[in-house]
Amino acid sequence: MENIYMPDPMEVVEVKQQTADIKLIRIKFRDPEKNANFKFNIGQFGLYSVFGVGESTFNICCSNSKDYIEFCFRKTGRVTERLWDVEPGDTIGFRGPFGNSYPMKEWEGKNLVFVAGGIAMPPIRCAILYALENRDKYGKITIVYGARTVNDLVCKDELDEWAQYPNVDVLKTVDVAPPEGTPWNGRVDFVPTVLKDSNITGDNAVALVVGPPIMIKLSLPILVEAGFKDEDIFTSLENRMKCGLGKCGRCNCGSVYVCKEGPVFTQADIKNMPNDY
Amino acid sequence: MSHIITLEQLKKTLADKISSGAQVVAPTLRGELAFFQKIDDVNQAVLEPRVRFQNSIKEFFFPRHETIFSFVRQGSDVQLVDAPEFDVEQIVVGARPCDAASLPILDPLFAWDYQDRFFQSRRAKSTVVVFACKTSDAHCFCTAVGGAPDSTNGADAILFALDDGSFEVRCVTDKGKALFSGKTQESDKTGAACAPPSVDFDVEKIATWIRGNFASPVWEEISYRCVGCGACAFVCPTCHCFDIVDEGSYSKGKRVKNWDSCQTVLFTLHASGHNPRATQGARQRQRMMHKFVIYPDKFNAKLCTGCGACSRSCGVSFGVRPALEELAKVANQSENN
Amino acid sequence: METELRNAIRKLLEEKTVDVAIGYGRVGVNGAVGATFVTNPDDVDRLVWNNECRQNLATHLTRAEIKKLGKPAIVVKACDARAVVVLCNEAQIKREDVYVIGVVCDGIETADAAGNKTGALMGKCLSCVEHAAKNVDLLIGDEAAAKALDEKNAPNAKSVGHYEKLAKLRAMSQKERFEYWREQFSKCIRCHACRQNCPLCYCNRCVADKNRPTRIDTSSSLKGNFAWNILRAFHLAGRCVGCGACAAACPAGIELDLLNLTLANAAEDQFGYVSGKELGELPLIGTYSPTDKEEFIR
Repeated sequence: MENIYMPDPMEVVEVKQQTADIKLIRIKFRDPEKNANFKFNIGQFGLYSVFGVGESTFNICCSNSKDYIEFCFRKTGRVTERLWDVEPGDTIGFRGPFGNSYPMKEWEGKNLVFVAGGIAMPPIRCAILYALENRDKYGKITIVYGARTVNDLVCKDELDEWAQYPNVDVLKTVDVAPPEGTPWNGRVDFVPTVLKDSNITGDNAVALVVGPPIMIKLSLPILVEAGFKDEDIFTSLENRMKCGLGKCGRCNCGSVYVCKEGPVFTQADIKNMPNDY
Repeated sequence: MSHIITLEQLKKTLADKISSGAQVVAPTLRGELAFFQKIDDVNQAVLEPRVRFQNSIKEFFFPRHETIFSFVRQGSDVQLVDAPEFDVEQIVVGARPCDAASLPILDPLFAWDYQDRFFQSRRAKSTVVVFACKTSDAHCFCTAVGGAPDSTNGADAILFALDDGSFEVRCVTDKGKALFSGKTQESDKTGAACAPPSVDFDVEKIATWIRGNFASPVWEEISYRCVGCGACAFVCPTCHCFDIVDEGSYSKGKRVKNWDSCQTVLFTLHASGHNPRATQGARQRQRMMHKFVIYPDKFNAKLCTGCGACSRSCGVSFGVRPALEELAKVANQSENN
Repeated sequence: METELRNAIRKLLEEKTVDVAIGYGRVGVNGAVGATFVTNPDDVDRLVWNNECRQNLATHLTRAEIKKLGKPAIVVKACDARAVVVLCNEAQIKREDVYVIGVVCDGIETADAAGNKTGALMGKCLSCVEHAAKNVDLLIGDEAAAKALDEKNAPNAKSVGHYEKLAKLRAMSQKERFEYWREQFSKCIRCHACRQNCPLCYCNRCVADKNRPTRIDTSSSLKGNFAWNILRAFHLAGRCVGCGACAAACPAGIELDLLNLTLANAAEDQFGYVSGKELGELPLIGTYSPTDKEEFIR
């Protein structure tokens, strides 16, 4: 019988440092056949191993049209401290894809509003990349992304690339003004304020909001005021996980297992879940 | 007409299994306390019904510590070696009915969607023989969760101890029949279990209260005395939460699955420092919800067999039964209001 | 004594000297005794005092959930009172922030496998020479009777109870002793009930829970179990007050009290140090004196 806890060995293809403590890593299956056959849905996550150190959970933050997997992490714990040191050519482990996904098909024909704060850009990046690759299938795309300082912005270069697409608004903001002389073409404000000024409307639109709890808390009323229904506001939860398979018993919010029924939930789902996240 | 087996015949049956290479797990005495252990000699087994064991037979289906795979780093590549599949016959004898009852409860957890071969291969290879209870104690509450002193849930055969030292054998499954076939004599003696333990709380009513009272201050109040160890979870036949950790060095080691408990602070602590279950009350609530709300929602079974192992082992006189009794008070109160 | 205890606590709560009383109550299955927290003076009748009060309540003093309740009064036996003293000496609590109610204790009974009391006293009680709690704000019980018990036990204190077990352990060959602990530790399931029930295991993040790096295996393999139990014993060397909370809480029945006694006894034999005797006393490990035996000190 197959061993569901057994990761696949992956080759590190590329490492891109994003901020002082955030890196994005691109990996491929060492087994070419597996690499060719691997499929995932936008919004799913994986478990990434540094052998001898442990496993950690991250969203797959690239589009699913590629022959690689990308994930992004902040150096904060045992596993990420060792992941920080991996270089192209190294081997790490991967299990997945796990969990549900963003309903990209159902979103076709709608305007998309993406709201992200800090390290929460990657779980939204996959949806942005997918939507841009399929640009004609979606309406107007508004991306509101903020971080504490300019140096804390993830995927900084990509933000400007995305803004080049037709009918895409990229609204960048930072909480703290950059030092005099630093080039900065975004705003200095909190994400909810920028969101409020963005003239979005809930008509034929969905919003995907991921970020620190306080950002989500303050952004929700603005979306509601703009006419978004609870069913049209999506988020991705990040409860602590070990197995990703609905067995180890720690990621649940009440009877909802985040690793199985999540990580993607609508605001309507969340309102029915106990506050256990 | 019944079938009986003498103690000598039972011992010989087990001894034959041991010499045929099977793994036999039976109650043994270590000091004054009874533990289930793998035995090499049938005389190590204490073959009599008992109320208290220090461990559950869960350990022989879901070990407290189990290797998932091992690895060796070779340059920039890593060789992964799968753990060997459990591949010996296993006979577990002497379990209480409430201990064996956990096995069919846990089956769907290890088989929904993803198939956990570690649990499943042990299940497939095992024959479980329970002893019907002859006594119960104040911790027992199997009757409150659908069990009984002669329940055969999870058992392949049930043995009733008779006054003359022999046992009446009732086979439940083909595995049970295969184990005892040709080992018993026909008789007119029949055994009986003790009276079911009495309970004065209604688990369904409590479950309904739990469902509607996630934010109740009662959770904190009943949990002041809990010191947050894992004893209740580790002795529980149904608690199955686990941790996955790497052991060894960066160049060579293994990944293991270890028992874990929702009562510890670290269980849900995020690397960021955020903890969704930051207080003992939240953690006790999770334990009771998992047993009486979440698991029934997910797998249509209560995650509790009423064995009382948790409260027998608790250093602060807590456990599921005392918690249920506390919750019954508030559930009754809120019903009367 | 029980009535006296309840009255004293009622008064403390009524006069708002304390916000919560940590005492014993019949809270478990079939009236089993466990920690009880009383904040309302009308609830003091829930408190009991008897020879089933096994737990060391000092464990709760450092728990975040209990600290939130405000200034505590705590009921302590003499052995438990020594733990309060160590908590003060190690700057975990301030003595003035807790109201300590000592009780005269004539011994706690052991429980059998079913949890019923056996009539036999715990090992630590057989060799007890301190029946009245010291360093307390209020002592309840007959001090003269306590003194008489102290005197009665004194002549044999180092040869009965768990000292008898210690002597047996000492008489073993090194190989036998290793085998003894191997059997004991092989039963360990790493539930950490010993640590969580120990009043002196207050570390915010125990070394067993640290993973950057992992210093001891978290697995309940024999290697992990040896590492954990030895490490914990060493961290308690010169600190353990011998209350036995660890052994009483161990679901596997590991003789942790005996393990800790080996080190406490070494502290007493080698340095004349008994943990938790005096407020303000310096810790044995972490301090030195010119009278220490080791040459390098001088």
